[in-house]
Amino acid sequence: MHFRLKKHILERLDPFSIVADELSLIATRLRSMVAAEVPNLASAAEYFFKIGAEGKRFRPTVLLLMATALNVHIPELPPAGVGDTLSSDLRTRQQRIAEITEMIHVASLLHDDVLDDADTRRGVGSLNAVMGNKLAVLAGDFLLSRACLTLASLKNTEVVTLIATVVENLVTGETMQLTTASTQRFSMEHYMQKTYSKTASLMSNSCKSVAILAGHTAGDAKLAFEYGKNLGLAFQLIDDVLDFTGTSASLGKGSLTDIRHGIITAPILFAMEEFLQLRAVDKGFDNPANLDTALEYLGKSRGIERTKELAMKHANQAAAAIDSLPQSDDEDVIKSRLALVDLTQRVITRSK
Amino acid sequence: MSSGYSRTPAAGIKWAGFCRHFSSRAAVNDVIGNDLANTDSSLAFMEGKERLDPFSIVADELSLIATRLRSMVAAEVPNLASAAEYFFKIGAEGKRFRPTVLLLMATALNVRIPELPPAGVGDNLPTDLRTRQQRIAEITEMIHVASLLHDDVLDDADTRRGVGSLNAVMGNKLAVLAGDFLLSRACLTLASLKNTEVVTLIATVVENLVTGETMQLTTASTKRFSMEYYMQKTYNKTASLMSNSCKSVAILAGHSAEVAKLAFEYGKNLGLAFQLIDDVLDFTGTSASLGKGSLSDIRHGIITAPILFAMEEFPQLRAVVDKGFDNPANVDIALEYLGKSRGIERTKELAMKHANQAAAAIDSLPQSDDEDVMKSRLALVDLTQRAGRVGSGELGKRFEPIQKLSGQGKKPTRIIGACGDDGEAVRWNDHQIGHKLAKFAAAAGIFDGTLRLRLAQVDVDLRCRGAWAKVTDRR
Repeated sequence: MHFRLKKHILERLDPFSIVADELSLIATRLRSMVAAEVPNLASAAEYFFKIGAEGKRFRPTVLLLMATALNVHIPELPPAGVGDTLSSDLRTRQQRIAEITEMIHVASLLHDDVLDDADTRRGVGSLNAVMGNKLAVLAGDFLLSRACLTLASLKNTEVVTLIATVVENLVTGETMQLTTASTQRFSMEHYMQKTYSKTASLMSNSCKSVAILAGHTAGDAKLAFEYGKNLGLAFQLIDDVLDFTGTSASLGKGSLTDIRHGIITAPILFAMEEFLQLRAVDKGFDNPANLDTALEYLGKSRGIERTKELAMKHANQAAAAIDSLPQSDDEDVIKSRLALVDLTQRVITRSK
Repeated sequence: MSSGYSRTPAAGIKWAGFCRHFSSRAAVNDVIGNDLANTDSSLAFMEGKERLDPFSIVADELSLIATRLRSMVAAEVPNLASAAEYFFKIGAEGKRFRPTVLLLMATALNVRIPELPPAGVGDNLPTDLRTRQQRIAEITEMIHVASLLHDDVLDDADTRRGVGSLNAVMGNKLAVLAGDFLLSRACLTLASLKNTEVVTLIATVVENLVTGETMQLTTASTKRFSMEYYMQKTYNKTASLMSNSCKSVAILAGHSAEVAKLAFEYGKNLGLAFQLIDDVLDFTGTSASLGKGSLSDIRHGIITAPILFAMEEFPQLRAVVDKGFDNPANVDIALEYLGKSRGIERTKELAMKHANQAAAAIDSLPQSDDEDVMKSRLALVDLTQRAGRVGSGELGKRFEPIQKLSGQGKKPTRIIGACGDDGEAVRWNDHQIGHKLAKFAAAAGIFDGTLRLRLAQVDVDLRCRGAWAKVTDRR
């Protein structure tokens, strides 16, 4: 009941603005946390936090909203006076998860750029292009070590395990991408596993960590996990579509980065199911003629549509996870949950 | 104990320090089988002739750890090259320095902790504890190798200089990915220990390794000539891993802060001594005269302790250093100054000082009458002597001379990379992948035999024996 009443308010409510103050607090702390005594490292680590990603910090936003959304009264909390201090400590610890998540995310980007030999990232020169491969790798390691230090300070071994799993998944995902055996290249299942490892695992496990820090039940922690996982998957699938379509709905206006690097994503995989002959074109996509052929097949197929449908399915699963949380009448809780659901829709409908 | 150990007074003092733990010479004799009345044989002992081989005390555990490391890597190492398959053979491991220290430390600290539950229940705990301490050794190796791999990443300028930039690019991918893989495995293993203090210590190690390597990349001249900066860099790059992993071993066992600190001090000073002697060996090789070493540090423009000391005596050496060492003539000039100076001697003295500090840390541990504990402590002290001195001991750079195998009637081959058991490449030419593999294999010590690989359309043989590996380009 509350849900429908408040929904019209939400249409004018920006999920990112709900947590804007906290985001900027986190950004400040991140900057000081990656300060290093060695100048080269400091500027390398700072490099990434400076790049235009200031505005929307997607991951931390999700985590902060999740923290509030889960703020169901936990029976065993001590009475209000003491509880207030505990709550703020808890909130700080949950913010740390957001910081850790960002550091790990950026570390993986720095390494991926070296692996991809990338020149640019987000429209700016990539760190490895600007300061050298080695420094980019070292900077990534530095961020990872800082993340681990922050993780240790939380003194929660379950969370340490979850985040360590994320690190492993990121590496596994990247490895899967670089080393796919031919039998697996055309497998949607393999692709989804890789996508989980590279993109969704960070979201799922950090959402779960937020729940665990707050002492929530295994059931609620799982819901948080499911939200993060499905949101991440939806996000990546739409990313795949946008790489083909760009900001227009027609094919070929996107940057086509994936396919030019020989990375086969969901739309092509779906198209290959309809047009087996497309498989023969594989591994020749750096040849523009082959690329055009592939795009032609893609256009004839339902590849793009099916990918969007799959993304929608995961977005809905994410929303369903939020809906399944224990009911609450708290206004902030309701707002945050609405915002989380809204994010699942934004992920689908975004054009960049 | 008599004061007749005039040949190696420092060693004598350490020996005497140990002996105070024993009730009688006979008791010592029982433990280590030395006849203390025979001064010469004690000295022979202290000079590394193996009555007591630190490595053999922990040999079984070492091989267990090596097997675990191997099975982990074998299952997961990515098939990065286009048709290569990896076959891992079980073989002799060679001396694995870091895990040896950690396992010996684990036993050396095995002072009975009063709050342990009574024997029946307690018996289960130590096994778990030992396994957990072994994990520290595994984690340490994984991080060490990961850092070597990441240190090896080349910048674009370097990749273009290589034979076929494709190889160099592939080499970078291999280095980054393999390093990340090892780091992630280290993280997971760390998490499984469920001890956040240890997580903090090991995370600090990774940060220090990165900082140390970055310090080495920094070329600000004022810092380059500073001994203090150099020692800080050396701590970061070499000693931090040892110090913090030793401390972790202590912490897992629930020891007091003081004992943990002693373990830390041992590791730290051992690591520093080791690196300082490494610096010397780079100039002297296995002979005592200058210039027989590989000189790889100075050729890479890395200024180490001997040169730093020499610069204190001969300020004009700074100008030489500033010019850089691409020109071999400059290297000769620097070596000349070094020879005139006390640079080598002072470095050896500093190494010995740290070696003795490490030994002193062991001496300060709470007394124990347990035979295994005493043996391990003796072994740890023995290691300080091996680490802190230039000798023919096993901790020096140990490698076969690089031979050019040109076959009459055989297919000519080219050696393209080789390294010793410390994971450091002795020499390489332009085949960067071979170089990386050699480092990876040797440092991980997980191969024995010959691997035939095809990497980026090049056939290579990776021939490994014990703790070193040689990569040959088959053409």
